[in-house]
Amino acid sequence: MSDEAIHAAAGEDCHLFGDNNCGFEEVAPGVEAFFPDPILEFGLPLTAGITKYTLLLVVSVLLVMGFWYITTRKSAVVPGRLQSVAEMLVTFIRDQVTRQQMGKEGDKYLPLMVTLFLFLFSMNVMGIIPGLQLPVTSHIAFPAALAVYVYVMWNAIGIKRHGVAGHFVARVVPGGAPKWILPLLVPIEIAQNFIARPVTHALRPFAAMLSGHLLLAVFAVGGWYMLNLGAGGFLSVLSVGYSGIALVAFIVFTGFELFIMALQAYVFIMLASSYLGEALEGAH
Amino acid sequence: MDIEGNLNLIGYGLAAIGPGIGVGLIFGLGVQAIARQPEARGMLQGQMLIGFALTEVLALIGLVLAFVL
Repeated sequence: MSDEAIHAAAGEDCHLFGDNNCGFEEVAPGVEAFFPDPILEFGLPLTAGITKYTLLLVVSVLLVMGFWYITTRKSAVVPGRLQSVAEMLVTFIRDQVTRQQMGKEGDKYLPLMVTLFLFLFSMNVMGIIPGLQLPVTSHIAFPAALAVYVYVMWNAIGIKRHGVAGHFVARVVPGGAPKWILPLLVPIEIAQNFIARPVTHALRPFAAMLSGHLLLAVFAVGGWYMLNLGAGGFLSVLSVGYSGIALVAFIVFTGFELFIMALQAYVFIMLASSYLGEALEGAH
Repeated sequence: MDIEGNLNLIGYGLAAIGPGIGVGLIFGLGVQAIARQPEARGMLQGQMLIGFALTEVLALIGLVLAFVL
């Protein structure tokens, strides 16, 4: 939940059963939660200055660096408890993602995928850490930068492996299609592989985090809105009951969000390795 | 009776039907395939998640457009 939403809910004294007949739509969180005020502005065109997003980005980078520092500081052949956590993560991604999508060759890109996974996951997890509570990936710029990086990379790998013509022909001409249908298929494949693919790759973590954050914010603000101890008598009890339901839903959905955050990071690297695998493979 | 609000939300609700059916089919058939051939679980799960991601993005695009348009 954003600071503005908390303040809006707390400041206006807007509650269920209140005197001023205040509706929930007056305090309901909206998209303005994703445009926090800049902490520091430089006045440069097309920039937002340093916002909460920038700070949380730094926090999540430090989190990832701290994770690797703690787990691999004293690496040994027989891993300790912390080191085996890191090893389990790497083995999991190798067996479930890179080997599946790229084969043995994919081991070369395993460090990249592990890094991308942890980085995205820590950026997502910012959304449920108390006090921070804004997923970095709920701003399109951050997943878009990672998606552009993967996009450039799979094109570069394909061109290096199979040459410019080999790579682009393999991407836009589906194998086994009859000649007469190619004029129809090639434009679709171009739009699919070179436009829709990077856009959806960035959009997926973004939209999932945006909707998840809004969901949590609705329950948090709604719980506060429905809590009205001053309503008097039965209505007070009722309002406590209502906000208790909202609190339970908030906690349940926080757990659910944690799962979605890990899943989105996993899906991101899954698709990244499937794109890289296609580029490595060439024509199919 | 007055009804206020944004028509986009109804559109998004309709747009989410398709991906909903798709995700259900993917996981339903995926679980069925795993039940028939438990040893292929690892490979099937990977394919299931790719299919899930490709289908889910349709609902997410709808969500983004509901806000943007």
